[in-house]
Amino acid sequence: MGKPEVLPDPQFQVDRHELVRRLAAVLPATSLLYSTEDTKPYECDGLSAFRKVPLAVVLPENEAQVQAVMRVCHELKVPVVARGAGTGLSGGALPHEQGVTLGLSKMKSILDIDPVARTAKVQPGVRNLAISEATAPHGLYYAPDPSSQIACSIGGNIAENSGGVHCLKYGLTVHNVLKVRFVTIEGEVMELGSEGLDSAGLDLLALVIGSEGLLGVVTEVTVKLLPKPQLARVVLAAFDSLEKAGQAVANIIGAGIIPAGLEMMDKLATQAVEQFVHAGYPLDAEAILLCESDGTPEEVAAEIERMEAVMRASGATQIRLSKDEAERLRFWSGRKAAFPAVGRIMPDYYCMDGTIPKRKLAEVLEGIDRLSKEFGLRCPNVFHAGDGNLHPLIMFDANVPGQSDLAAKFGSRILTLCIEAGGTITGEHGVGVEKINEMCVQFRPDELETFRAVKTAFDAHGLLNPGKAVPTLNRCAEFGMMHVHRGEERFPDLPRF
Amino acid sequence: MADVEHWAEAVRAAAAAKRTLRIRGGGTKDFYGVALEGDVFETTGYSGVVDHDPSELVLTVRAGTRLSEVEKTLADANQMLAFEPPRLGDNATIGGAVVSGFSGPRRVAAGSARDFVLGVRVIDGQGRDLSFGGRVMKNVAGYDLSRLMAGSFGTLSLLTEVSLKVLPRPEAESTLAFPMLESEALDRINRWAAQPLPLSASCHFDGKLWVRLSGATAAVETAEVRMGGEVIGKEEADAFWTSVRDLRHEFFTGSTPLWRLSVRSTAAPLSLGPQMAEWHGALRWIAADLPADKVHAAAAAAGGHATLYRGGAKAAGIQRLAPPVLALHKRLKQAFDPAGVFGVHRIHPEF
Amino acid sequence: METHLADFIKGTAEGDEAESILRRCVHCGFCTATCPTYQLLGDELDGPRGRIYLIKQVLEGTKATEKTQLHLDRCLTCRSCETTCPSGVQYGRLVDIGRKIVEEQVGRPFAKSVERKAMATVFSSPSLFRPALSAGRAMSGLLPEALRKKIPAVSAGSAWPAPRHKRRMIVLDGCVQPTLAPNINAATARVLDRIGISLVRAENAGCCGAVAFHLNYQEDGRAHMRRNIEAWEKMLIDGAEAVVMTASGCGSTVKEYAHHLAHDQAWAVRAQRVSDATLDLSEILAGETAALVPLLEAKVQGKPRRRLAYHSPCSLQHGQQIRGKAEALLVAAGFDLTPVPDGHLCCGSAGTYSLLQPELSQQLLANKVKALTGSSPEGIATANIGCLTHIQSGTAVRVRHWVEWLDDELGA
Repeated sequence: MGKPEVLPDPQFQVDRHELVRRLAAVLPATSLLYSTEDTKPYECDGLSAFRKVPLAVVLPENEAQVQAVMRVCHELKVPVVARGAGTGLSGGALPHEQGVTLGLSKMKSILDIDPVARTAKVQPGVRNLAISEATAPHGLYYAPDPSSQIACSIGGNIAENSGGVHCLKYGLTVHNVLKVRFVTIEGEVMELGSEGLDSAGLDLLALVIGSEGLLGVVTEVTVKLLPKPQLARVVLAAFDSLEKAGQAVANIIGAGIIPAGLEMMDKLATQAVEQFVHAGYPLDAEAILLCESDGTPEEVAAEIERMEAVMRASGATQIRLSKDEAERLRFWSGRKAAFPAVGRIMPDYYCMDGTIPKRKLAEVLEGIDRLSKEFGLRCPNVFHAGDGNLHPLIMFDANVPGQSDLAAKFGSRILTLCIEAGGTITGEHGVGVEKINEMCVQFRPDELETFRAVKTAFDAHGLLNPGKAVPTLNRCAEFGMMHVHRGEERFPDLPRF
Repeated sequence: MADVEHWAEAVRAAAAAKRTLRIRGGGTKDFYGVALEGDVFETTGYSGVVDHDPSELVLTVRAGTRLSEVEKTLADANQMLAFEPPRLGDNATIGGAVVSGFSGPRRVAAGSARDFVLGVRVIDGQGRDLSFGGRVMKNVAGYDLSRLMAGSFGTLSLLTEVSLKVLPRPEAESTLAFPMLESEALDRINRWAAQPLPLSASCHFDGKLWVRLSGATAAVETAEVRMGGEVIGKEEADAFWTSVRDLRHEFFTGSTPLWRLSVRSTAAPLSLGPQMAEWHGALRWIAADLPADKVHAAAAAAGGHATLYRGGAKAAGIQRLAPPVLALHKRLKQAFDPAGVFGVHRIHPEF
Repeated sequence: METHLADFIKGTAEGDEAESILRRCVHCGFCTATCPTYQLLGDELDGPRGRIYLIKQVLEGTKATEKTQLHLDRCLTCRSCETTCPSGVQYGRLVDIGRKIVEEQVGRPFAKSVERKAMATVFSSPSLFRPALSAGRAMSGLLPEALRKKIPAVSAGSAWPAPRHKRRMIVLDGCVQPTLAPNINAATARVLDRIGISLVRAENAGCCGAVAFHLNYQEDGRAHMRRNIEAWEKMLIDGAEAVVMTASGCGSTVKEYAHHLAHDQAWAVRAQRVSDATLDLSEILAGETAALVPLLEAKVQGKPRRRLAYHSPCSLQHGQQIRGKAEALLVAAGFDLTPVPDGHLCCGSAGTYSLLQPELSQQLLANKVKALTGSSPEGIATANIGCLTHIQSGTAVRVRHWVEWLDDELGA
């Protein structure tokens, strides 16, 4: 339901009985689920509009079992869909109907913390926040903090190259992972990256990070840890227009300040989360900015002063400074819980993830507002303002016939807006199954072909997470995205339907 | 001025004629790598800044643009390339800085060349004009092929344009020096790095640890007091860090083979010969004529790898990749450059 | 989430409630992070989101098997997930509905049914529990390890001040607590007496009904509830200010009488009155700090501070959403509270869970004891009799109700 039915790219015909028999031979009983009663709860991830029941779910306990599963699937030509905590928002862990869902949730040990070298070696199922909790006694933490950090796993973060509210200053997953152990579809283990800062040969680690489970499965991760800043404080500023808030963002960066976090929420979003977190957000503002400074107390004091001055000069109607750590966390908790909190006002939401140049912010938000009226669906916006990453939340009710389709069309139009503004369809949630059609708008056939060639270098039979992230050219033709792209006609050689 | 379409044609022609091309910007890194094979293909004709809006923190520039020009443009906006690319000669280009993947002293704090790549425009081995990544800070659409180009030394494609994240220049900078032996220096600098101090570079050489602090004035001043040490004057400090960045420091000037070891920062002193340690110990330069096996083994034991950077027997000096990883390299090369037009044998004797 | 209930449940009171809960869930998965069993087992089916999905399947018409029942049985009903859920999903209520329907569909083997019924009966009744406990002590060599360790030492009763104040509050005597730890209510009576409140018992009140209700003898549970309402409402009308809960497990149930009896026309309003008058002891004392704190300060002054680890029962922090109140009182009483990692996680007691799921319960207990004793406290304080006996079974460090620690300081 929801979006147009996803066409399975390559077709697979799997003997389920044989598959289960072979998997049972390499896994403990508690690590193999195959009755529908057990597998149905795995039919979707954090994007529940897309659902498919896999043939089997495997929950290996160690790397050897992951290898064994891969070998079985490779031999029987069975699709493998890796899954971390199942919190993804693009359907990246949507199962394949002829495939095995490979859950890493039992592999969640923190193997080693080296406080002097500032690294932690962990299994892929370890929760993002658990790393920071475990390293806190050493005054260290793992910087990328996606909103779902309480639950999402580091393995999933690698698959999606997750960001978070602090990534403008501290980078994305790709900037904070040193090394991984990686199992190929043939069941071979590779080490990519290094405990040193550079590694030999091509930078395959950078390629694997963000590859959405299409190139292999990560079984061990060495992350970089940073010293926890002595102090962090957040300025909460209210604006009476989105334009002014957007300008304030440009002015802050223009002044040479790189805030630890810089987030924007519009009025609808603020109102939605305030009911849950009681963060004390001003409810009448058209937009609020959360701007964090961290460092030594002296440094923070000086930077906050500059931030406040820029905000005031940019027309802030109200400025509040977090008075203690509890209030700082409360300011952020509203932002971090923004997506699910929408579940309190509307049963379903559809979270978009386009990124645009910051200077186009007002223009794109106006466009979204226009579309919201056109489709008759509300759409609050939260926004990683510092790096131009938009999260419009399209609100709908899946039980009302037609609304899911409407929401999907609305979403697609938003992504097109982002591409037209010089941006991208996904900043951090990944393409998954959700934005696969829009990939045909963002990339030209030659580029998509290169992606597929890279995929083939890792996975010649296309068994890893088929149907996700990179569309086939046929699929693009079917999608009908015959836009004129950079002055050329798209897919001139393909038949039109 | 050269343009992308002509280049694409040239690549197609080379592929058809089974010729190999040796992509060359300023030629300042010709000394590096296993071998220089193929007809020289100059990129300096395609230059100029395409887009730079300081409040976006993004710079898009043509690959043949001189590094010095790029840095001037940024300095005018009080910004910088935070990976501090080495300028190994006046002609060094931004394209060379990116595809070499070399980063300077600030790398340990700010990140490497690949960390700052946001998007690329390249011509692949079939002469196709392709764009990956973008001009925005976050972009996870498709595989991250743009970062893959950093450090590829032109083995996969011909870089024509690159978009980089740029950062404001630090408000204040200060350099401290501490006389101490290597083992103590490694321990101290790693322990400092685990504390919230604004470290932006470190270098141990000849019984002295140099530490650079960068950031807000308040932070730098507090750290100076906390860490102690001798405060080095600005002129001397700048000259020192530039000489380390550009390999013009006296340590690099001899003709002895120069090894570059990327290892765990806390690895014990390697005692292989005259040495300079950067990046809080994660980068160790060794100037000595040594058997490759010995250096490679020492690097592997220290959690990393070694490359014969300059001089000596180059092919032997490259640390071999594990067989499955090498096989993957070859398949990837095939994906980008099936006819084998680019950078053959530049970074590894076997591909 | 999209939901389409099957005809058998659609339009019923339970169906409507379940549907409105399910519709709130957006499948974000945050709940899995704080679920004790998901953390141990790493299977979606043993976390709240998976259990919600299992229940959804059943409500949408798929027949459940023992497998669904097992995953629902493994749930501690600690409701940690409710604290975490940003969408406000009332998981506890949904799982009550789900368990009932699954039990109807799947049933239980005869021996298991007998065991569960026996627990529901014995634990709900002091007159049965007391002799059973004596017998248990006598025969402890014959009992399974998990159960044997849980049989606590005899705890002495202590003086209960005679009612002398105009202000009066009712205490729930409860089922197992008067037998296992009679000092808790006596200490409560003494503390309240010092600040001008007399604590009185109700003649005919008894078990709050939680044990039977959560073993899915929901009607037996409701019978307990009605009996207590009957016993308390007259005293409330006669001027008793509140029904005081000294076991947070009971408290969270009594506060939900109104919910459990909402569809019983004869009892709904009466249940509401009782639920409204019910407060945890920490809520009562937090409202009386003007009288209490000076008393404590006078006692504490000049004495070295003592170190305690505090375990907040799930029924208090998640079920009743009360946090920080007992802790603040202990600090005022001269105790420093040691840091306790993963304070949101269940100790594994969870009513009868420790007997029905001994393996998981023991793992949770081991983790909890490690977390509580990691900073070498002098003792452990908690707020629920179930947690108290369970944690005590895993450590030599003394575990008491926080009001007992407080009462000692006041009496010293």
